[in-house]
Amino acid sequence: MMRTPISVTCDDASVREKLEAWVRRCGIVPPNKLSFRVMIGSPDTHKGSRRVFRQPAVEIRSGPPDCGVHISWVTAPAIASIPGGSSEASVVLSPTATSMMGTCVETFLITVLIFLLRRAGWHHVHGATARDPQGRGWLIAGDARAGKSTTAALLASRGWPVGTDDTAFLVDDDERVSVKACHGPIALRKGGYTLLGRNVGELLQRRQKMAVWPEDLGATWLPSVEPDMLLFTTVGDRVSKAEPIGAREALTELVRWSAWVVLEPELAQEHLDLLTKLAKQAQGYRVTLGRDLFDHPNRLAELIP
Amino acid sequence: MSVCYKQHPELRLTEVEGEGVVLHLGTRRYFSVTESGLILLQALETPRTFDELVAALLEEYEVSEAEAANSAREFIDKCLESKLLLEEE
Repeated sequence: MMRTPISVTCDDASVREKLEAWVRRCGIVPPNKLSFRVMIGSPDTHKGSRRVFRQPAVEIRSGPPDCGVHISWVTAPAIASIPGGSSEASVVLSPTATSMMGTCVETFLITVLIFLLRRAGWHHVHGATARDPQGRGWLIAGDARAGKSTTAALLASRGWPVGTDDTAFLVDDDERVSVKACHGPIALRKGGYTLLGRNVGELLQRRQKMAVWPEDLGATWLPSVEPDMLLFTTVGDRVSKAEPIGAREALTELVRWSAWVVLEPELAQEHLDLLTKLAKQAQGYRVTLGRDLFDHPNRLAELIP
Repeated sequence: MSVCYKQHPELRLTEVEGEGVVLHLGTRRYFSVTESGLILLQALETPRTFDELVAALLEEYEVSEAEAANSAREFIDKCLESKLLLEEE
């Protein structure tokens, strides 16, 4: 069995096996050991630290007394704490949470993993990754409505290696910044899935999206890429457009899509420095994604010379 | 006793294309600052008086003392408004 530096301990063998399978599937190999210590029980509510972020189904608290992060799942009782400086996440899952492990992993535990990976110098950015036929690395950053998943699926369907449609991690590889991808299915909304015109994937009931693996679209998985291109996308109407931007503008966009940069003071500068290095390393573009891409996905590569 | 200014401890700075991007971890806001603004913020890693900030600008730019003082005052006021600086006696 393949070993991963992310270990899982849990007295419940069934939960442990599911979590280990998920961690292996993610394909993430950080440079130092990280761990999930999972207990099944009744989670206490977090006290003391202030709520700093609320995203769908997940609440994040941070700050004194321990300066770590505390993550709560809203869908079913579950909490996680990562104290400042620690490389272990203490997780308490209620029996209700364990009865819906697929959703728990997809929304709650992935957030815990994102914060745990910060302790290994891997900093999250909302971005899709791909490599174009010329061998150039692409990072496509933006929010949930920016067209990242549809673009990743389109590029995968044309045989471009694709890493992720959203969960990417910036890593300092000395000379360059590389972006590691969490291996998972691309989550497509109904419109994008229909236009893609492929009869593959499975329905994610709760999110009303179709989950399609890049491999099912003919792509190979790309675990790591050194971005040469940064695309900040919005979804437009008919015709796609791209406009180059400078490094400072690219940096402010990266900060926007790498929201955890403002949490945990001892890690914030390292995270900001990585974003800066990436903004200097790659050429940024502001891109409007049009419907023309469904007929001509390679038009994106033509727009980015 | 003259007033000193210093960076808010929750600021993180970076430089790109000669300009700065500033994060405020407390308010979770970020700002762009000009090259001269970045020089002033970097100088403010340690407490500085207004006159010391004007001197920092004069060292970098060929401007009159009045122009440097105007720039420094305008920058300090904006930073105080956005809670990027602390003021102390």
